[in-house]
Amino acid sequence: MKRRWIAGAIGVLAVALAACAPGGGASGGASDGGDKADAGKVTLSLWSWRVEDVKAYEKILATFEESHPKIHVEFKPFQATEYNNILATGLSGSGGPDVAQLRAYGGLQPLVEADQLLPLDGKVDALSGFDAKLLEGAKGHKDGKIYGVPFAYQTLQVLYNKKLFGDNGIQPPATWDEMIAAAKKLKAAGITPFAVAAGPDATWTLPIVHEIFGNARYGGTAFRDAVLGGQKKFTDPDFTASVKLVKDLEPYFPKDVVAVKIPDVQALFATGKAAMYPTGTFDLAPLLKADPSLEIGVFQVPPPPGSPETTPVTPGWADGSFGVNAKSAHQAEALELVKWMATPEFGQLYATELKQLSAVPGVTPSDPLLAEMAKNYAANGAPYTLLVDFRYGQPNGDAVFRDELQKMLAGQTGPEAAAESVQKGIEQWFKPGN
Amino acid sequence: MVQARELSAPRRRAARTGAGRRYVPRWRVLAVFLLPALLLYSVFIVYPLVSALDYSFFEWRGIRQVGFAGFDNYRDLLGIYPYDEQLWRAFAHNALFFAGTMLIQTTVGLLFALLLFRYGRGKRFLQGAFTTPYLVDPLVVGYLWSLLLNPMFGPVNALLEAVGLDSWALPWLGDTRTALPIVVLVNAWQWVGFPMLLFSAALAGIPAEYHEAARVDGASAWQAFRRVTLPLLTPAIGVVSVLTFIGNFNAFGLVYAMSGSTGSPAGSTDVLGLLFYRVAFVEGGVEAIGRSSALAVLMFVFIFGVSMLATSYFRRRERKLV
Repeated sequence: MKRRWIAGAIGVLAVALAACAPGGGASGGASDGGDKADAGKVTLSLWSWRVEDVKAYEKILATFEESHPKIHVEFKPFQATEYNNILATGLSGSGGPDVAQLRAYGGLQPLVEADQLLPLDGKVDALSGFDAKLLEGAKGHKDGKIYGVPFAYQTLQVLYNKKLFGDNGIQPPATWDEMIAAAKKLKAAGITPFAVAAGPDATWTLPIVHEIFGNARYGGTAFRDAVLGGQKKFTDPDFTASVKLVKDLEPYFPKDVVAVKIPDVQALFATGKAAMYPTGTFDLAPLLKADPSLEIGVFQVPPPPGSPETTPVTPGWADGSFGVNAKSAHQAEALELVKWMATPEFGQLYATELKQLSAVPGVTPSDPLLAEMAKNYAANGAPYTLLVDFRYGQPNGDAVFRDELQKMLAGQTGPEAAAESVQKGIEQWFKPGN
Repeated sequence: MVQARELSAPRRRAARTGAGRRYVPRWRVLAVFLLPALLLYSVFIVYPLVSALDYSFFEWRGIRQVGFAGFDNYRDLLGIYPYDEQLWRAFAHNALFFAGTMLIQTTVGLLFALLLFRYGRGKRFLQGAFTTPYLVDPLVVGYLWSLLLNPMFGPVNALLEAVGLDSWALPWLGDTRTALPIVVLVNAWQWVGFPMLLFSAALAGIPAEYHEAARVDGASAWQAFRRVTLPLLTPAIGVVSVLTFIGNFNAFGLVYAMSGSTGSPAGSTDVLGLLFYRVAFVEGGVEAIGRSSALAVLMFVFIFGVSMLATSYFRRRERKLV
């Protein structure tokens, strides 16, 4: 009992500790180290939340060091769930990184507003060639300055099991009704049509599921612009109808979906017990790792009847960026590194080594599935608006929406009430027209 | 203080018999024993508590303080949607969590203690078995139970279906009606050994003459328990109640492992610890530090206040016993 009490106290006070320990002691970087044996060589410290990517980054950074012999880069990954606090603390002291992987959109703002990052406007020329949608993720919300070089983006679509589709005589659907017919057929054959989880670990994926099925239904980019401009609200009938789609599709989700967790549905899909998996690019690599022989196809959800947007849409967002510590002792070298991160050389290495969609313009993924996702996004991409535009204040729109969607699936609320809650949540801080 | 007095007695004796040791003032001896603990306590408990209080009165932009905010953070927490609703919902769930845990854990713990006291066979083994779960971290316990209760692959529902109780194979943690009671049950399951041990010790401390006297006076077994045993267990009941209260209102690990950071499903298991975690870390807005510190302060004040009141209440009851 005492232990639990202490653990509770530590939990309660963690934020206080995280904020009051400048430098972070043990996590100190090597920014002012320098290689003694090799005079004049500068060591940069690069922080990241990708513990699983160490090998790939070492390979990528070796290429950088070949063309920049005076710079040595040390890649330091931290636990993703702790990273935000570690980085905020590291940037405030002297032991911090020179270059750091930064969260996008709302997640970037605490660092920007605390003046911890160097604005890159006019310093990294290649940024002008980047996709404007992706650059938004690396900008300060208030000052509009660019604080990082975007490294990747995520797209949302439905992955499907080619073998199961073939066995059941199903083609990737061209219309909404075809998709429902396919789902019915699969369900009758004892296969879970859509691998969707809504359990305790999965609430964050519910707005993603809504985006995949409902983006075209609420009107994609046009609706988003209207909400930002103040002409429309989330209580709009089109948005409400898009929320209702998730409830309508529930019969084709796993049974008791509110108790189903992410690993459960990944297992369902990877073992051929579920045929379609509405998810992001980020799930492709883990799925193929679980079973490399899995034959996966990809399709965009056809717009349901009544949609303002009549062509299929691929929602997406910028994953994050690389920025420079405002207190770095080696800013010139750090800028060299982020400049290189905006080149196709880095982009191509990144896409190949990490099986992700590079944000650098002109880079084509070698993986055919990723290439298809990238093509779809380029042709008809739309912002995942609750993540992209409504995470700049508390409560963030995405967080309210995920709770409401889970409530709806648990039978505790309806689409109208869910949409109203989202509107009420963002109105606490969001003023249209800014 | 009792220990200190006992400590000093042999020392004085040693001084009198002329063991040749120099007289050391008592406060120095005490300091040697107390300082390390006091230091750790100050650094890890007092300092963060005071700084949380300090932080809660400032306006924050990331980790930068931008000015004195007075009670703004508190007002936001109590007034801004959805925190205004979530705060009271979480508080009510904490209260239910505590009430349910007390009811089950204390009664079952007392029952076990009485049975073990009366029928001594296998006492050691059973005591060990009942206390094992609380040696495991609540996070691990929660994770294990969420695996056991998994509706697709979990053994609990498979077992229910195997014995023909298909209608009982519910999505335990996915139904808003069953989720909180299940979390309470698992919590009570984990901690039942704690009151059992305390009650066992207290029972062993009640002189057998009292029971004999009661029996001679013609009391039934129930009357003897109700009038003799139970009142004498008051100190143990007090300790159990206060510690359970503190633990339950600070609950985090178990609920987080079983219901995620949002108190799934549909917020039906949301507690104050989870709300704090979301405000501080998950949503990560620019105002996070101020608001989460304000919540931490509110939680501390409430838990501290109630614990003090409860302690003084139980102390008064104890005094009546003497």
